[in-house]
Amino acid sequence: MTCSAPRLLLQHLTRNVQGLNATLSVAGYKSAVSLDKIYPASDLDVTKLQTPPKTDGLNFSGYVPMNKVQVTYSRSNGPGGQNVNKINTKVDLRLQVTTADWLSPELKERIAKKYKSSITADGFLVVRSDKTRSQQLNLADAMDKLRHMIHTAAYVPPPPSAEDEERARRRHEASVRERLRQKKAHSLLKQGRQIPQWDE
Amino acid sequence: MTSSGTEKALSLLRRLPRVSIGNLGPNPGAHNEKRRGRGIYGGKTHGAGSGGSGQRQNFMRVGYETGNTPFYLRFSYQTYYKGHHLKLSYTPLCMGKLQMMIDTNRLRCDVPVDVTQLMATGLFSISPQQKEGGFMLENEGIDHFKATINIEVQWANEAVIASVERNGGFITTAYFDPLSLTAAIKPVEFFGRGIAIPRRMLPPQHLIDYYSDPKNRGYLADPAEVARERFLLAQKYGYELPDVNASPNKDILLERKDPRQIFFGLEPGWVVNLKDKVILKPTDPELKEHFAS
Repeated sequence: MTCSAPRLLLQHLTRNVQGLNATLSVAGYKSAVSLDKIYPASDLDVTKLQTPPKTDGLNFSGYVPMNKVQVTYSRSNGPGGQNVNKINTKVDLRLQVTTADWLSPELKERIAKKYKSSITADGFLVVRSDKTRSQQLNLADAMDKLRHMIHTAAYVPPPPSAEDEERARRRHEASVRERLRQKKAHSLLKQGRQIPQWDE
Repeated sequence: MTSSGTEKALSLLRRLPRVSIGNLGPNPGAHNEKRRGRGIYGGKTHGAGSGGSGQRQNFMRVGYETGNTPFYLRFSYQTYYKGHHLKLSYTPLCMGKLQMMIDTNRLRCDVPVDVTQLMATGLFSISPQQKEGGFMLENEGIDHFKATINIEVQWANEAVIASVERNGGFITTAYFDPLSLTAAIKPVEFFGRGIAIPRRMLPPQHLIDYYSDPKNRGYLADPAEVARERFLLAQKYGYELPDVNASPNKDILLERKDPRQIFFGLEPGWVVNLKDKVILKPTDPELKEHFAS
């Protein structure tokens, strides 16, 4: 990098600061609006490790451990010239359902049942995406699809209430009555077209 | 042997009075004693181009179109440009270009990268007077971005933040008011003015929400919440967040400016003398209090 004398000095000025401890930050310069004054209750640690939320029963937390999921990239289909021919933008996300210990057994069963068509013979749930031109955005889309699949598999519709059941029964009975009424009316019509048989 | 011309001149000098405004005059032929011609039907007074309001600088008002509704009155106010004079614009910087600058050693990523470092590449120009706020990072080339960098820009979207963080880097969005930005983009010129480094002002009302939001990695956001957002974004975009504690560049990646600071390593109130290679710091308690406020 070509440098003039003032630029070299500026680099020297900034380079010298590297030796300082990151928490001190310019030997302790703190203005009245520094972060520790705006957030006095916070520990201000941007590297704090986050505990992932757990999935228990059918309550999927949304957390998918990326080390348990296999991601492969390939070329997308469709038009796009040199870009689509050369860049691997299609994402293939595979998840072995039976060995996924971060999902509960009942949830795994429901996934296997609902998404039978997306599971291979080896037991891998496959999710693919080539929605955008970017590999990263396609991976985000595939993750979204995977989470949607798990959420819909986990969803149990609420049982019908007493009112709903009563309403369904009455509707069913009404439709049966109407069907029999129409049938009898049609039968009478047909009978009316016969020559009457009088027994002497 | 003096000539008669010289003798005459010298005798004139002895006799005549001192030169002053009152006895100065032009050389013959210096002024054109032109008068207008007075001939009947012709000459210099009659005919086209020799008279009328055109000769006497009688112009109509600016924008007048000899009767029809002029352009500047034809159109009413448009809503799309309301408040344009208050809005900031940002210089776009694609991730692909950022990666190229790093690969070609135009930009170092072993120091924290901010506006000053990006301007030092010499590839951009920012004019704070034209309501330009700094740099914004764009999506183009996020798949090719591989550098581990601690970068501070003025605007970044979610996909860009994800691409920086998946490579183990850190990104912060920070606001620079026009005066601070002028100092930040051309530091050597600023130091040459010999004035104290000013305090960076806080963002205006319509921008303070953006810079306080951990989702945007705002410099006024709570770092603990930023840590949580980093985790959530990693889950959304499908990558594992690299452990910064294991990185050899940990100190550089975690270095942050105070909200009132313009330069890394320099405090508000200091006067940097590049010629004598000294930094002058204020000693007066009132000044110190002001620059720390």
